[in-house]
Amino acid sequence: MRILMVCTEKLPVPPVLGGAIQTYISGILAHVSQFHDITVLGISDSALPEQETIHGVHYVRVPGKIFEIYRENVVRYVAANKFDLIHIFNRPRLVLPVRQAAPDAKITLSMHNDMFQPEKIDPEEAAAAIAEVAYIVTVSDYIGNVIRSLYPQASPKLRTIYSGVDSERFLPGNHPKMQKIRDDIRRAHGLENKTVILFAGRLSRNKGVDKLLLALPELAKKFKNLALVIVGSNWFSENDMTDYVAYVRALAKRMPVPIVTTGFVAPNEIQNWFAAADLFVCTSQWQEPLARVHYEAMAAGLPIVTTARGGNPEVIVANENGLIVENPGDPSDFADKIAQILSNPSWMRRMGEKGRQLAVSMYNWERVASELLEVWEQAEKTEQAAVSEEQAAGMTIEPLKEDATEQLNLPTPKADAKENVHSKENAAASSDKTKKGKAKKERAASMEDNQQTAKQKEAAAERTKSAKSAPAPKQNQIVRHTKSFTITSGNQQTLDSSPKTHWNRNQAQAKHDSKHFTIASSH
Amino acid sequence: MKNIVIEPWLVDETTHEFFVPEYIIQLAEEVLKNYDLSVQNMQIITTKPDKGGAIWKLETKSGPKSLKLLHRRPTRSLFSLGAQEYLAEVRKARVPPIVKTKDGKNYVEAGGKLWFVAEWIEPLTPVAKDLEGARKLCYALGEFHRLSKGYIPPKQAEMASRLHKWPKNYEKMITKMSWFRNIAQYYPEMPASAPLFDAVDRFEEQARKGMERFQQSSYVEFVKQGTAHWGLVHQDYGWSNGQMGADGMWIIDLDGVAFDLPIRDLRKLISGTMADLYKWDATWVREMILAYYEANPITPELYELLMIDLAMPNEFYKNIKEIVYEPDMFLNEQTAQLIQTIVETDQSKWSVLAEIEHKWKGVG
Repeated sequence: MRILMVCTEKLPVPPVLGGAIQTYISGILAHVSQFHDITVLGISDSALPEQETIHGVHYVRVPGKIFEIYRENVVRYVAANKFDLIHIFNRPRLVLPVRQAAPDAKITLSMHNDMFQPEKIDPEEAAAAIAEVAYIVTVSDYIGNVIRSLYPQASPKLRTIYSGVDSERFLPGNHPKMQKIRDDIRRAHGLENKTVILFAGRLSRNKGVDKLLLALPELAKKFKNLALVIVGSNWFSENDMTDYVAYVRALAKRMPVPIVTTGFVAPNEIQNWFAAADLFVCTSQWQEPLARVHYEAMAAGLPIVTTARGGNPEVIVANENGLIVENPGDPSDFADKIAQILSNPSWMRRMGEKGRQLAVSMYNWERVASELLEVWEQAEKTEQAAVSEEQAAGMTIEPLKEDATEQLNLPTPKADAKENVHSKENAAASSDKTKKGKAKKERAASMEDNQQTAKQKEAAAERTKSAKSAPAPKQNQIVRHTKSFTITSGNQQTLDSSPKTHWNRNQAQAKHDSKHFTIASSH
Repeated sequence: MKNIVIEPWLVDETTHEFFVPEYIIQLAEEVLKNYDLSVQNMQIITTKPDKGGAIWKLETKSGPKSLKLLHRRPTRSLFSLGAQEYLAEVRKARVPPIVKTKDGKNYVEAGGKLWFVAEWIEPLTPVAKDLEGARKLCYALGEFHRLSKGYIPPKQAEMASRLHKWPKNYEKMITKMSWFRNIAQYYPEMPASAPLFDAVDRFEEQARKGMERFQQSSYVEFVKQGTAHWGLVHQDYGWSNGQMGADGMWIIDLDGVAFDLPIRDLRKLISGTMADLYKWDATWVREMILAYYEANPITPELYELLMIDLAMPNEFYKNIKEIVYEPDMFLNEQTAQLIQTIVETDQSKWSVLAEIEHKWKGVG
């Protein structure tokens, strides 16, 4: 397929200025681009050209920073270029404008934050956006559940795909590649013979590093030679002084434990600080989607203390790779959990090892990419725009053609060899398919499948395992691809002959005017 | 001149009071070429060096005008300029009309910022600092709020709304009370630490109670009515940005306008005025609200939120929040004195609020 990945207006890709979403996109590109023709649309940056192609991935960069400006540029680009599928990152407010500019494309959405909250998006627009997208991928169950509670109709479209980490880059401090780096950093900052607690993240009230500072006096009474390293600036590369940063600094000045603050660390150097540390603490106070530092800490073989907030506990196997602070507002709860770990060195070491093992086996980019590929493939076979039954009934829909040989929208594997496999498998699958009912039924079925996320995760983990041992992970992917071909996208044909079938804003508006929005697509 | 980007500038003992860097003055002259004005004199009136903003007064053949270099992001400034145009042209509000460029635009973009020219309103005099003056200010504010309803920002403008931010603001206030306490504790040797430590419990308690009342209020219903329903708040309204002209009160300096519940401007005006009086005065508060009400009636539910907002420890918070920056500088004798004044003023607040709350029943 020709796929467009639309980034946010805030930070550029690749993540030269950091950013979880940007890191995620970069992490999966090498894998997904083996199967699809990928264009990444993001914001311009003085360090990056406006257009380039790297390893087969096209990058297009347009002015952003301000949402309204970015939106206009995105719409202009989408209107001028044709894509089979458009995957939008974390901006539900881009869905409708993109839909208008690309009436025929499948749209999928990735959610990294609570951007569906009513203060972020008008509920009517949110409902219409949900109706437009085939799938909504979330970085944690927490994010999915929030969307589900606000918009129950989104439920069948939701799917959690946990993020990943490059465990070749993030390595434990005792790894041969890291020993010298660890020693150098510790020497340079007076951390030799110290037990180094690491915090990495934005310095903001939400992230709550102040609670960790306030836990230090209690910890210092129990343990000698503690040190705290705070990696991060107020907001990515800007070292601005905010009231919160000022407060943290004022506290740090009076603590009985040495505190090293690094300011902004370039994303490609951050692994060094993880390797130099002994214990990782995430102090989030807010309902955090699921901070990616957890994956990095795991890969670096650090035991984790995190908070019972948002999606954070989802990656902690209690007592195995970390501990969870139940009352993040209370510094002594942090002191407690940290003390538990520090008092038991062998347990501490085992926790780090467990984390590393989880990072390698479960939280690798290949697994993330293959799950996203699955979503795209399922999206490809969904009806154009997920219009609810009710809405569909009110609109003219031509009977769906079931002859798969008339599919117009064949996926476009990039290598010729692969293409052959695809076509053959496809033909076989298609003939099989003709016996089945209408596309709508299939959609319902595929949504049921989709709800079996636990099973899917298991399967994904299995795939990852076998991919590790198999010489060519691509083969695995191809098998998956062919499987997804068992479903016709015959409605594409219909679509082209009958533009009425696709959803558009005016119809949505007309519906809305006549009665309240009910965009539930399956209830 | 094309690639110049206006940056904040330093002011020190080597610069005069209204110093503006030379390149900005040159840009101002370039900007004025876009206008059909013959400028006879140009005088700097005020500057915002830390943000990169300035205002000049122009003497022209067609009368006095102001030239403003807006310090905000251009897209944010577009929101405010659109509001000013809407208020002046569509609603005929007494806000300075914007002078159009030769090609009919509201502004000129130069140095990465927006500039615009508006009528310089003369004469304008501040109202007397008495109850009558306060009433005039409040009436004008109500009128401003009423007329701002229906504003639709230009397509290119950044949406400026604080409508959804009330809970976050209150939460932040509560959180920061614990910051103040911690700072006082970790800087015990400073003169203001003990008084701060003693005072913070009371204000934290007020903020928590306020939050509870807020959660029971109609706020959620208000928000559902949307930005257009409520109109704009000025955000910087007070005794200098509302002034008496020949034909009534004018409201100036609209750069910071945003959508919000209108009573936030009113609350700030009332609590600020009470701080100036060093005590809460039931007559003033009641008269100010009534004057506002005459121009922009408010429902009992909105009045309730006004009461909740008045009960928050706004003045304490506003004056103390700076201490986190340099505790070993800000927690001095002067701050100790300030805390005492705030605590004393606060003591007269509660009976006044109780009385006002009761009085409302006849009005609503």
